[in-house]
Amino acid sequence: MRIVVTYIRRVLKILRAEVLVLPSRVTVMVFAIALLALPLVTQDYYILRIMILTSIFAILAASWDLLSGFTGQMNFGHALFFGVAAYVTALLNLRLGLPPYFSIPLGAMGAVLTGLIVGIPCLRLKGSYLALTTLAFPIILMGLVFAFPGITGGELGLSGLTKLTGSRVMDYYVTTSLMLILGGVMWKITDSNTGVILHAIREDEVAARAAGINTTRYKLLAFCLSGFFAGIAGGLYAHFMRLAGPSTLEIGLSFQVIIWSVFGGMVSIYGPIAGVYILNPFMEVLRIILDNFPSLPEMRMFIFAALVLLTLRFMPEGLIPWLRDKVESECPRCKVRNVFFRRSCRICNADMT
Amino acid sequence: MKSCKIIVVLMAGLALSWGLFLSTAAAKPIKIGVLGPMSFTQGEGHWNGATMAAEEVNAAGGIQVGKEKREIELVKVDTNEFLSIPDATNAVEMAVSRHKVDFLVGGFRTEAVLVMQDIAMESKTVFIGCGAAHPQLCTRVLDDYDTYKYWFRLTPINSSYLGKVDFILLGTAGAIIKKELGVEKVKVAIVAEKAAWADPIVAAAQKIIPEKMGMEVAGVWRPSPVATDCSAELSAIQRAGAHIVFTTFSSSVGLTFAKQMGELKVPAAPVGINVESQKSGFWEATNGAGNYVLTINTYNPVKISEFTIPFVEDYRKRYGEMPNYTAGTHDAIKILQVAIEKAGTINSDEVVKMLEATDLNTAAGRVVFDKSHDVTWGPNYVTALGTQWRDGEMKCVWPYNWEGVTYEGSVPYKLPPWMVEYWKNK
Repeated sequence: MRIVVTYIRRVLKILRAEVLVLPSRVTVMVFAIALLALPLVTQDYYILRIMILTSIFAILAASWDLLSGFTGQMNFGHALFFGVAAYVTALLNLRLGLPPYFSIPLGAMGAVLTGLIVGIPCLRLKGSYLALTTLAFPIILMGLVFAFPGITGGELGLSGLTKLTGSRVMDYYVTTSLMLILGGVMWKITDSNTGVILHAIREDEVAARAAGINTTRYKLLAFCLSGFFAGIAGGLYAHFMRLAGPSTLEIGLSFQVIIWSVFGGMVSIYGPIAGVYILNPFMEVLRIILDNFPSLPEMRMFIFAALVLLTLRFMPEGLIPWLRDKVESECPRCKVRNVFFRRSCRICNADMT
Repeated sequence: MKSCKIIVVLMAGLALSWGLFLSTAAAKPIKIGVLGPMSFTQGEGHWNGATMAAEEVNAAGGIQVGKEKREIELVKVDTNEFLSIPDATNAVEMAVSRHKVDFLVGGFRTEAVLVMQDIAMESKTVFIGCGAAHPQLCTRVLDDYDTYKYWFRLTPINSSYLGKVDFILLGTAGAIIKKELGVEKVKVAIVAEKAAWADPIVAAAQKIIPEKMGMEVAGVWRPSPVATDCSAELSAIQRAGAHIVFTTFSSSVGLTFAKQMGELKVPAAPVGINVESQKSGFWEATNGAGNYVLTINTYNPVKISEFTIPFVEDYRKRYGEMPNYTAGTHDAIKILQVAIEKAGTINSDEVVKMLEATDLNTAAGRVVFDKSHDVTWGPNYVTALGTQWRDGEMKCVWPYNWEGVTYEGSVPYKLPPWMVEYWKNK
């Protein structure tokens, strides 16, 4: 009992001292609570489907940020991890009858292996060469998918997988909880010593190597970690859609991930997650609005593209960092963030102006 | 007392007429979701066909459901399935759970239709597929009837039957070449776009042409689906001495290939699948060079049934083009109408029973569903068509004396005159 009380006190203290003092953290907290409470407000199949897919893509976008944002390994073929995991998950489920709680982690391990396979040849490449090479891998795999239709189902893909869970609400809770947990884990990784090293590699790899860091190992680690998280997303997608097809490897998906991440704000983990949570439902809102104007449905993609372009024109670092900088400022002395109206730092009391 | 009786009778009459009026006024429309990539020609076909059918049914007062007439209300569902499968599933979910559609028709990309099918089956919504040809969509009905019984596939004929028609057209052209040009061994150039769906057709052609059809394979060419120049392939085909070019094209290369083949006057007959040549704009797009191209098709102003010519002519008048096979949503709605009227309800299970018993003449032919809920193909059922471009007009040239079937208005197949001249002078 005493332990519980101690923990509650600790949580309350963290809440008071670390969360409630900053609008961005309060927003994250409210967002997480709202997400978990959504099925209490509505159990509309359509809304839950959109939110489930949004959670899955949020994991995917954050995993891209972990690799490309933090380590600077510009991956233009992130759908590779997603697709490999989707296919491995589907094969394990359909051929061996493994249930989702086994097939999804094993599918993610397949994506980790892919991360190693892709990572090794990519270690010596930088910039546009790396981007083009990574772009080629899902295309190669797509070729293999069509070359071995007996295994992969060819252009139809593999369908008829076991449902993720028995109900739409449970599907929602599984995907949303995993998004919150995995998003938190990815954020923690980037905030740890490993994250600092990944940052250092992106900023100046030669200097990082001169400081005694085995950059090869860390770059490979980033590929594998990113592959793992993207793989979980791929496995969830396969079981939710009950299909793993060529569309999971399409270039369009890889670019979509980049658009979400850049729109939300790279090098933050929460930026790409927010990007997906804004853009994905936004497309559906557009669908509903434009449904009332029979001649306008074709405008949906145009409005989407215009929104992204305008955001990047006026918020080059992405929407979320821009908003955060509006409501928070950094202490010039101790580098701790404070709410924008504070005149002195909440930690070191230095003058904020 | 007498006046009292009159008042009672009047009141009863009034109540009855109000009751009748209210029952008519309250008749909710039957909602049918039309699924398709609406920014593309396939989606337009879906919507146009369905719109025409709904207008025809509504003009006649609607569908008779039990004792009431109910109008059709179409819900346009843009699946965007070429670009995004999740988008397609969201759209279908929206139609089912938000718009509460009673029935679904349409769909195009098989990978997307498989997922859409699952959503429709989960909500026990009858879904008549008009666009995807893969047989797997129907084998699911055989494998798990209770789950997938709400699925029916109407158009096009499935890919196995498409393959059969493809080779029948090839055989027809081969026989005419033998007869008219006196060729002993007809040579066939197999030309298929480099796409996965074309692979089994190429493999089958390589085997069937020499072994079963008694013709010779002059070579296999696989241009890119988006090639803008096929002159190298065409020169090689001419050098190989091919009499027939057996085409398998679904994308823009069909246009390029046909145009250049006509311009170069390659002495061979183009026969097979060329989706671009099914469109009305093909003639203008090739500047007339696509003359004599023969392709598998679904609609043409010939009398497949009494409904074909009026449908094709109305469609052409209204939309300025020939209906493509996704416009089969027109037939789908007519079939639904009959099934609902026979069932006397829109309850899915009852409608399924009536759909299973369907034996109906439609614009594309006589529709009878088999055990897998796929449309039956063959003489006296739906056959598909072979259409040939002739001086700006698309003529139906098959079936023509095939298994006792000749559609009124169809004409014999003709070889390109420059080809006849070339081989006769040789």
